[in-house]
Formats: sequence, C-alpha cells, structure tokens
Amino acid sequence: MPRWSFAAFFIIVAAAIAGPSLLQTDPFESVARPFAPPVWTGGEEGPALAVSLSPSKTLFEKKWNWSPPENISIRGTLSFEEDPSASLVWTGPGGERFVLAVSGDTREWLIDIDARDVSFKASLGVPPFGNATSVLFRNHENIRVEIEGTTPSAGKIEIRTPGGKWGLMGTDQRGRDVLSLFTEGIRISLIVGLAATLISSALGLLVGLSSGYLGGKIDSFIMRGVDVLLSIPVLPILMVIVGIWGKGLWQLILILGLFSWMGTARTVRSLALTLRESCYVENLRSIGASPWYILWRHLVPEALPVLLAAVTLGVPGAILAEAGLSFLGLSDPRIISWGRMLHEAHGFGAFTAGAWWLILPPGIGISVICLVFLDMGRALEEIADPRLVKGNRK
Amino acid sequence: MICIRDLSVTYDTNARKVRAVREASIDIHHSAVTAIVGESGGGKSSLIYSILGLLPPEATATGKILFEGSDILSAPEATRRDFRGIKVALVTQGAMNSLTPVISVGEQIAETLRTRLGTRRREAAVKASELLEMVGLGPSFAVRFPHELSGGEKQRVVIALAISCSPVFLLADEPTSALDVITQAEIITLLGGMVRETGMGLLLVTHDLPLASSVSDSISVMHQGKIVESGPAEKIMTSPLHPHTRDLVFAANLATGRGFQ
Amino acid sequence: MNSYWIRRFAGALAVLLLIITANFFLFRVMPGDAVSTIVDPRFSPEAKEKMRHLFGLDLPLHQQFFIYVRRMLSFDFGISFLSQRPVWDEIKSRIPNTLALLGTSLLLSSAIGTWLGVKAARKRGGFLEKAVIFSGSISFSFPSFFVQLVLLLLLAYTFPVFPLRGTVSIPMPSGTLPRVIDYIHHLILPAGSLVLLGFGSWAIYVRNLMVKTLGEDFILLARARGLSEDRIIWNHAFRSTLPPILTIFLLALPGIVSGAVITETVFSLHGVGKFLLDSILGHDYPSAGAAFYILGLLTIASNLAADAACTLADPRIRVGKRAER
Repeated sequence: MPRWSFAAFFIIVAAAIAGPSLLQTDPFESVARPFAPPVWTGGEEGPALAVSLSPSKTLFEKKWNWSPPENISIRGTLSFEEDPSASLVWTGPGGERFVLAVSGDTREWLIDIDARDVSFKASLGVPPFGNATSVLFRNHENIRVEIEGTTPSAGKIEIRTPGGKWGLMGTDQRGRDVLSLFTEGIRISLIVGLAATLISSALGLLVGLSSGYLGGKIDSFIMRGVDVLLSIPVLPILMVIVGIWGKGLWQLILILGLFSWMGTARTVRSLALTLRESCYVENLRSIGASPWYILWRHLVPEALPVLLAAVTLGVPGAILAEAGLSFLGLSDPRIISWGRMLHEAHGFGAFTAGAWWLILPPGIGISVICLVFLDMGRALEEIADPRLVKGNRK
Repeated sequence: MICIRDLSVTYDTNARKVRAVREASIDIHHSAVTAIVGESGGGKSSLIYSILGLLPPEATATGKILFEGSDILSAPEATRRDFRGIKVALVTQGAMNSLTPVISVGEQIAETLRTRLGTRRREAAVKASELLEMVGLGPSFAVRFPHELSGGEKQRVVIALAISCSPVFLLADEPTSALDVITQAEIITLLGGMVRETGMGLLLVTHDLPLASSVSDSISVMHQGKIVESGPAEKIMTSPLHPHTRDLVFAANLATGRGFQ
Repeated sequence: MNSYWIRRFAGALAVLLLIITANFFLFRVMPGDAVSTIVDPRFSPEAKEKMRHLFGLDLPLHQQFFIYVRRMLSFDFGISFLSQRPVWDEIKSRIPNTLALLGTSLLLSSAIGTWLGVKAARKRGGFLEKAVIFSGSISFSFPSFFVQLVLLLLLAYTFPVFPLRGTVSIPMPSGTLPRVIDYIHHLILPAGSLVLLGFGSWAIYVRNLMVKTLGEDFILLARARGLSEDRIIWNHAFRSTLPPILTIFLLALPGIVSGAVITETVFSLHGVGKFLLDSILGHDYPSAGAAFYILGLLTIASNLAADAACTLADPRIRVGKRAER
C-alpha cells in the first residue's frame, strides 16, 4: 500500500544512518559565530568562510555577493619535499593581485595571517586603522586564493572569516552547525522512540495476554492496577525518577518503557478475551494443550498484527516524552536530541537573539517523525483490522 | 385521508442503487386501522419515513403523497416539519433506544406539548401525567427515566409521546416486535382503542400477519418494495390471491394453529 | 448511590496513598545516599547525626513511614535545601497560579472544542467538519513546548504583544485593577497556547460521539415529533453525549497536569510545575517531594470533581437508588 509515510520513514532512517557521515562538520565543533543565521536568509552580511587549502586543493574561488567581512584569518602549515618557492596569492576585485605570503628557506612553511595585523594592513597599503578586508573583498566580485609555485606535499591551511551567516540552518549559542545537530538528533529520536516502545510493548503484551487469557480475579486486579496507574500524571513521575536516578540515555529509555505499557496491555487484553472464547482455542484446550503452549504458539502470532500497529502508534508517545524531558533539561547534555536543542534554545538566549532557525527545525523534526509514525500506525491498523477501512463498512 | 400514489424510494449508496419502494399506492383512512404486512427490509419503513419526510439524505422519493388536498412529498421542509407530531405522528420500537436517556419521561412529553402546542409549563406537566395514564402508566412514572422502565412500559411512553398533540394520523413501525406476547396484545389493544375513541387513523406496519389481522380493517401486502395485494382484512386472510400473500397466510395459519388453509 | 460514592472516595484515597508511598520510597530507595535526600549534604558529620535523629531516620522503616504519611497529610514538608525556608511557604504562593492556568485553559479548550465538535457533527461533510478532523488528528504530533516556543517567538519577540516571561511584571503595577490586568496579560499566552493545543482533540471526540448519538432512534423520534433542530441537537443529542464526554475528560486530566509543568517552564511562570523542575535540578528533595505531592493532589481532586459531574449528567448512575426500592 503506497502511503507517503512509509516512504518518509525510509528517508528518515536513511538520513539517520548516512546523514552524519555525509555532512562534513562535527556537530560538537563550533564553526562560526554564535547564533549565525542560515546562508539563504537575505541581508548584507556574508556567510562565514571555513575553507582549507591543501596539496590536493591549492585553489579556492568564490563569488562574493555581500559586504566585506569583519576579519579574515589564514593559518596553517605546508610542508614540501624540496626547497620551496611558493607564494600565497589573493586575486581580489578588479583582478588585483596581492601576494599575502611567501615561502621561506625551510621546507616547513608556516602561515599566520590575520587581517587585523597592522603589518599585514601595511603590506596591502591600508592605513593602521583602516579595514584590510575591504581591499580584499568587494560586493558581487570574485575572490580567489591560490598556492602558486611549488606544490606542497603535505599540510593544510585554513581560511576563516567570521561571517554573519552559516550553512543551511545557522548556528546555535556555541556556534555549532545546526544542520549537523539536527541530523544527529534524528538518530536519537529514532533510537529512543523504538527502544522505549519495544520495551513497553513487550511488557504490554505480557500483561495483556496474561490478564485477558487467565481472566477472573487476576484480570480484574491487573486492570484495576492499570486504571490507577493511568490516573497518575506521568511527566512529574518521570521527572522525579530521572532527577534521582540520573540522566543517561539508557535510563531514560528504560523509564519511558516502564511507564507506557498500559495502553498496549489494554488492547492486547481485549484481543485475548475474544480469542479465548473462540472455537479453535476451545478445541486446543479440550485436547489438553497447556496454557503456555496456547499463549505462545497461537495467541501471540494472532496478536502480532495488532501489536505491530500498537507499537507504531506508541513510538510518537515515546519520542514526545523524551523530547519533553530533554526540553526540561533532564537529559544527558552530551547527547544531542531535538528536545535538548529546544532546551538550549529556550535557556541560552535564542529569543533575545531572535534565532528562529534554532527553534523551528527541531520542533518540526519532532512533529514530522510523529506524524509519519502515526500515519504508518493507522495504515498497519487497517491491515490488521480491515473493518476500519472507510470504504469497506457495511 | 392520506393518499399515496406511485411512491418510489431509491437509496443511492457508494456501491449501488437500491430501490426500496416501487410505485406503491395505498390509502390511509381516518377512524380505521390500515396494515402493511411484509418481510423485514421490504421497504415498509421507507414508506413511513417518506410520509414524514424523514428519509436519510441518500434516499430519493418520487410520486405523490396527498394530504388535506396537497402533495406533501414536494412540500418544503418547513411545511413538512409543521406536520410532524401535530398532524402525523410516529411510533417505533420503544424497547430499543427510542427515548432520550437523560430526560425524564414526563418531561419529554411536557417538552413536546410546550414547544409544539405552546402549552404553559404547569399545564403541560399535568397534561403529561394525563397522557401517561391514558396509555396505562400511573402518575409515578412521570419522573422516571427510560432506563428504569421495562420494554412494554417504554413502548407505552412512545405512544403517549406520539399522541400528545392529538395527531390525525399515527404511523406505527413494528410497534410490538420486541415485546413478549402478552404485552404485544396489550399494546395493540391500546392502539385499536385509540382509533375507535378519537377517530385517529392508524397505519400499522408489521411482519406479523396474525397480529395485523387481529386489529386491522384493511391489509396491504408488500413484497420487494411493491404492494402486491390490498383489501379488507377478512378477505385477505380467507381468500388471498397473490402467491406471496398465500405464502404469508399459510405460514400464519400454521403459527396460529388454524391448520392448513 | 451512597455505595457508589464510597467506592469513589476509597479509590481516591488509594491513589493518594500510592502517591505518598511512591514519594517516600523513591527518595529513599533510589541509588545514592538516602540520608542526603533528607538532610542537606553540606552539613558537618555531627550536624548530620543530629538531623538524622531529628528526622527520625534512625527509627525502623515502618515507623518512619507512618510519620511521613502524617506529615504529608498535614502539609508539613520540611525545610527547602535551596532557600532554607519552610517548603510550604515556598509552595503556597505558587498553587493559585497553577490553578489559574489549569482552570482557564481547561474551561476554554473544553468549551471551544465541544462547541466546534457539535457544530461539525451537525453539518456532516462540511468544511468545518473536515477542518476539525484534520486538526484533531495532527494536534497529537506537535510537542506542546514547540508550539509554545513558536508562539513566544511570534507574539512576544517579533511582534511584542505579550510579555516574554513571568506571571506578573516586575515591578508590579500599583492598584488592584492594573494588577489584575497585568496578571491576565501574562496569562493569555500560556493559557492560550494550551487551549490551542487542546481544543482539537476535544472537538474530534465530541464530534465522533455526537455523530454516533445522532444516529440513534430517539433522535429520529424527536424529529418525528417536529422538535426544532436546535432543540434536538442540544437538549437531546448533546445532553445524552455528556456522560461519555465527561468520561473522556477524566482520562485526559493527568495529561493536563503534565502539560502545565511544561507550560510553566516555557513561560517561566511562578507555579508548582516549575517549582518541581527547579527543585529536581537543584537536588532539593524536600521541595521536589512536596511539589510532586501537590500535583498529585490536584489530579485526584479534579478526578473527583469530574466524577461528580459525570454523576450529575447521567441519570443512569444518579437514579440507581430509586430502582433499588
């Protein structure tokens, strides 16, 4: 059945697995100034540059469509196999060439250029209080940096400008790339959602089958317990337990799993009740099959489609619960989850900076994943119980 | 008199069209009991709802229903609403969910009197108790709720509701099917008595031929949406013409122990 | 009927006892030094011994438990680690704010949701019905704090219509009316966001229940009596749907309390939920236990209230006693 949610699910899983390696940046590394807006937002500020030149890449060119950046720094070391004769050449507006640095006598060429250095400014013909970058950059003109002369054998030089903008989704309060954080977060959401739901479903299956099949006093006792548990507000309990027990990821998954099995138990129990009365179970009992045999070999396979639907529908609950706890600050700070991102957005000044790119992506991510699982769950429900499909009703 | 001419009712669901009633014609007279007998699902209920204008949206009715000189089938909804309860009233199976569960029985009757006839509050309450007495329920019943009543008691309340505004015609759709035999007889006697005393016309729709024959003046037999035979009750029971009627009479005689006739 | 209420109260007491027990054991049985959850870890060893004795920590466990139950029932929560003041003093100013938030949002979202649901059921297939079904089915997926953050961004930052945080402005305006207006001004965004998040599911439940009720026989008979459509919808259909609506209300209550915790955090409101969070993050166990207890009490109380409403609305429960005679 081609429903959009199944396709979306595969895309999400693919992104979770492959995403972090496709993106070059380490999510924990700060790459630009804090609260840098995404590149595609309008405005005069140019993006932050973080480019390296190396033996394999000796040339960098870009059309610069913005006003000159505040500063530029070029740092690194290049090594050569023979005595070098190389220079770092910048071609700026109007084709003007500036030789920024020249290799020395040794085979190690150390480059350390900062546009705020007075001597550097002087070499460009800029007065001490002037702006070196306005000479190197001009709006809507090309810039070009190249290692001319002897090709180096090893090493790297980094060209950095503290730009106003960065990347597809900007940066957070520590200057980390939001897109990388976002992609990391997919993994955590999926892991927590699926793991917690598996635990709770296993528990729910166990309790529901036992309660429904064994019936009688055990059944009413268990159901009473379920009712009581359902009437206690869940989030405060989770908060207290996490607060005392610790904020680790696995503790979180375990706690979430232990507190959400009630719904599945109810569904499974009603299924077990109907199956119990069915003819073929009666037959099995009359030929002497033990309850465990009946449960394991017959009821469990019967319950599986319904269970699968219940699991899929339970994942959004787990994801939202984890997001809620992370948002409140009750999760491991070293683990990047979308809820955690929103916590940091809320607590570390995203509002005063107006950094909407920190707030929208994680929230939309959570919502989309939940919608996907909800839709898949409904599709599975319809497969499990064809009476629910709209056209089929008599 | 209500004259139904060539009434056809078609239901248009997603899957297919179903013709529930096919060119049925029948007359319903004052001071008389007219019965329509037929198997379940044969379109009898659709006929009743056509008179009242309560067919579901997927049904279309064609033909004529003449009442007091005009064709009410083609009348606007506002006019048709004026008829309901005042001129023509409905009785269905009371044992099911025919009474609003959260309002007391007396209040439901009083409400109808207040809103349809403009009766004052106190008067309406008194009249409600009188109506309940008329159908054989004592004054203590007025404050009871439907879930406290037995099937037969609920059916009586439904009848009281129906006659509260003294309608000219009463349409009864299987009024006794869910009741035990004794209560059935009581209800049917009650209805028959009303017809004689008030001059009201009763249309009795049922699948139970012996029941119909015990109280009706004329019987029409409906089969697959068509009226296949009509006539005085006596004649239908003793000399049925149509094959379907014959089958029904045969089965009825078996049931009532009158032997094979 | 009395036996019905006795059972309800007994059930409520059972849940209350469960909460107190959970509180008691959680803070003592969890890994870590049990003493530090009661006694401030910064004290000297002699002071700790003294506190131990004072708090009865050297008594057998079941005795400690009884003392604990008694203290809880009399709202004696001890001293806060963080502020060194009695916890009850800290918490009592916060309870009314949480009540205000919960009360207004609950009332408004149920009222709006019910009204929309009834209207949607009345006009089947109309635009309103489709909108109600759509919003109800997706409202579950959006995390509440996200919606609230977006609202904050839009209505407190981009267009500074509402305040960014707090229950009241600092400094507070003088005079009763300005203070009341200021309080309401601060409450609008938090309560409004809860209403926005909640009315969708209300509307869908009510719509589904109403559709089912409108298919019943008694509605047909009411129509056959010529009653007006308005009267049928509200007096007959809606009143009959009220008991199941209230039942669903009961089931939703714990979720609403959880929602309040998050809302108070997003908007930095001076309420019990945020107090719970702050105490947990600050390892102030007496305060955390007290806040948890108060929230539990709120849930139980609203449960009983909803139950009472259920009984009033459904004569089948209320009038049971008459049939017994």
